[in-house]
This record gives sequence, C-alpha cells and structure tokens, in this order.
Amino acid sequence: MGQELYIKIELKAEMFLLRPLDAFVRSLINQLPAFSGNENSVDNMELVFNEAYSNISRHAYKSAEKGPVKIEIFVKDDMLEIRLEDHGEKFNPSEVMEPDFQNLGESGLGIWLMKQFVDDLLYESGECGSNVLRLVKRIPAENVFFPCGCLE
Amino acid sequence: MEIQKLEGVTVISTDERLDAMIAPKLKETVKKMSEDASTKLIIDLGKTKFIDSSGCGALVAALRTLLKNHGDLKIARPSPQAKTLFQLTRLHRVFEIHENLEDAIKSFVK
Repeated sequence: MGQELYIKIELKAEMFLLRPLDAFVRSLINQLPAFSGNENSVDNMELVFNEAYSNISRHAYKSAEKGPVKIEIFVKDDMLEIRLEDHGEKFNPSEVMEPDFQNLGESGLGIWLMKQFVDDLLYESGECGSNVLRLVKRIPAENVFFPCGCLE
Repeated sequence: MEIQKLEGVTVISTDERLDAMIAPKLKETVKKMSEDASTKLIIDLGKTKFIDSSGCGALVAALRTLLKNHGDLKIARPSPQAKTLFQLTRLHRVFEIHENLEDAIKSFVK
C-alpha cells in the first residue's frame, strides 16, 4: 500500500506571498527522497510552482483586489502533483504558442517553461466554474518517493 | 539590488532572486540608465540563486532598451539554475555571458 501526503493552502492570490510560498514549496520538495539532493530537479519544480502562482496573481486576477487561490500538493509513491485553483480570468494553455526564440519577448514564457518541467499540465474547470491547473511530475520507479517510510 | 561603477562600466548586482517581484524595478532602473547614451552595463548574477520567466523578461527588456541607445548589456556569474533557463530559452545566444565579473568588465574595456 503506497503512502501519501496531501497539503492544502487557501489564500488570496497576493503577489507578496509569492516568495514565502515558493520557499515553502521548495523546502517541501527538497524533503522528498526522490528530489532530495537533486538541486536541479528542486529548482525546476520551484520554478513550475512560481510561474503557476504568479500567473494567477498577475493575469487571472488582473485588478488590485485579488481573488482566492487554493493550492494543493499531492505526493504519492511515484507522482508529485501541484494543483492550483482560482476563480479569475480563464486561459487555454493549449493555445499558448511556443516562444519565438529568434525574437524572444519580454513575457509569455511562463506556461511554456512549466511544460518543460512537468509530465502533464492539465487545465480543467472546477466546481462553480473555477479554473484548476494540475501540474504532474511522475517519478521513475527507482526513485519512488517513500522508499524508507520517511513520512511514517 | 546594488549598483556600482567599475572602470567605466555600470554593474548591477541582483539579489538572491530575480523574479516577478523585482523584475519591474530592474527594468525601470535600466530604462533610466539608458538615457545616458552608450551605457555599458553588466548584470552580475553572482548572488542570484533563482530566476523566473519575469526575470528573464527583464533581462531581455534591459538589453533592448540599451541597444536602442547604443549601449550594451552583458551577464556575469549566472547560477546553474540561470544557465539551465538561459539554455532552454536560447537566451545564452542572445546575451554575452561571462563566468566571472572581471572578464565581463575586461570585455567592455578592451
């Protein structure tokens, strides 16, 4: 029977919370055996979270008054999923074009970068028309998360 | 963010993070600097452990602003995370990148 970890944070999507949340997510991921000691993978997942949260705060909620965001982190034996749910403006990640690398703009890289570092990026409708962004990172069998029952 | 002038070259040393929280300030700072024509600028990333897409965007904006005013921008001491990001986004082909600050300054002075 696999072990699981589940964390939920609900707050207003304020930009000033970006760094504290990044730090928390980084620290959590760094504790997971599949990531521990692999700075590059931890960096990548921190960036994935950073881009997702930042997009919600700056683009889904464009006005100064920010709406709610629910952040959920699921860890199973072979998978890490970061899920962010907001009630702001919708977007379609599948319509996000690959950046023009010959003439890179000053914005528009965030979604593309997230896609580079996760196995699945899913954007779904949640309850009451909310937007749910699911960022799934699968872990190879030899690196399963809880090989020694570290969270028991 | 610290700014100093070394051998006629302006050096901006960014803090631990170059992210969406600080990117607008960096863009604004460089925009003001670029009002002096031919500004030679080095962004020293030696202390910066984490860059996001907004940070990359600010660097691109800074380079464009300077080039318009006959200036130039070089990058020094990127972290492994910054290097990964620059390679993915091909920015390593856009920026002249130096492993240490002295080399970056010399490349302007020579």
